[in-house]
Amino acid sequence: MATVAISLIRPQTEKTRPPRALWVPFQLGRPFGPPAEPAFQRRVVLAALRLLERPAGPVIIEDFPDDDPREKADPSWRPPALPAVLADRPPSGLTAQLDAEILLLADLHRRWIAEHRRTAVGLSGLSMQEIGGYIDEWLHGREPPSPNDGFSPLLLLRFTADDLKAYCLEAGAAQPGKPSSRQLYDWFWKATAAGSALLALRHMLLASDSERVKLIAGNFLVPPPYVPSTARVATIAATSMGPWQPGQ
Amino acid sequence: MVRLADLPPAQAQRLAAFDCPNFTTEPWVTGPPLSQRRVAIVSSAGLVLRGGVPFRGRDPDYHTIPPGTRPEDLLINHVSINFDRTGFQEDWNVLFPIDRLNELAAEGTIGSVADIHYSFMGAAEPDLIEPHARELAGRLKQDEVSAVLLAPV
Repeated sequence: MATVAISLIRPQTEKTRPPRALWVPFQLGRPFGPPAEPAFQRRVVLAALRLLERPAGPVIIEDFPDDDPREKADPSWRPPALPAVLADRPPSGLTAQLDAEILLLADLHRRWIAEHRRTAVGLSGLSMQEIGGYIDEWLHGREPPSPNDGFSPLLLLRFTADDLKAYCLEAGAAQPGKPSSRQLYDWFWKATAAGSALLALRHMLLASDSERVKLIAGNFLVPPPYVPSTARVATIAATSMGPWQPGQ
Repeated sequence: MVRLADLPPAQAQRLAAFDCPNFTTEPWVTGPPLSQRRVAIVSSAGLVLRGGVPFRGRDPDYHTIPPGTRPEDLLINHVSINFDRTGFQEDWNVLFPIDRLNELAAEGTIGSVADIHYSFMGAAEPDLIEPHARELAGRLKQDEVSAVLLAPV
């Protein structure tokens, strides 16, 4: 079976030595380039497929020459207007603001769906109000039962966190303009109650006695670039409810 | 961008030093011209159908993306949070370039597009993925696929 791979991290491709690979200089998560740029995507796909016609190999690793134009910030984009996040509150104090924010972003999210006819929200199978309520329970130091028989509470926490991020990021992207991913993620983690809630939850759960809970909290809630510095952690710790305990 | 020189040094070092499988063979399969190839996508982005059974953690099996799947049907269920998802939220072709393949087939640049496409969750253990990948290769042959586009995330 003839294959051609897209390569995002060239040194890893050089180690695995697939028969044919096209290295692309795009951010992780965008192997075929920018969204809504079909001509650009076509060039990437075709550059990869053309490697199948090379008469000699292996190993062929070629470089795609062009950068993703959507990685540049769009100065015209403005994030949604939201109340300032009350960062000096304990984690449980974020729940009301999280619930209110989900409602505040609802119109923008409906606009996103109307324009794109899709949403990436849906892993948990819960409504956004239910997702907010489920994360609220964790913020209060409780481990709520999963309403989905197939998902453990921790698995559902990860899915609800992914859904919450998708919901907010889509709402933010519904604002006029073509924001870069960096603009959207900076806004989400630095200016939304949802981002603050997940940061607070991460910190709470890292104090758990359960290695499984610590694994999920440390690796699957907040991307490393947005994990607070030591000083920020100290601030949050001083205002938190203390270590999270199962069944608390 | 994923030019290692542009990343924070610690992250660049970690990615460059990442432990990768060491294959002892170097397969090389040729085939007909592109205009006669039947192309399938095999993604490692953890793509799943809305409402279906998701990947749980590092499940090593694969999910099927059947004919008629619409953009609103496809979700990303990769365990990692260290990559951009906003591109996929806006346009599934960022990870799953099915519209581009269909255009290339319609104009005759490629022969055809496979009926079924597939996704693994790429953070699974390679040794555990292997038997599923071998079984998948058999399915691809049954569908007369002659070119596989391997799409990471």
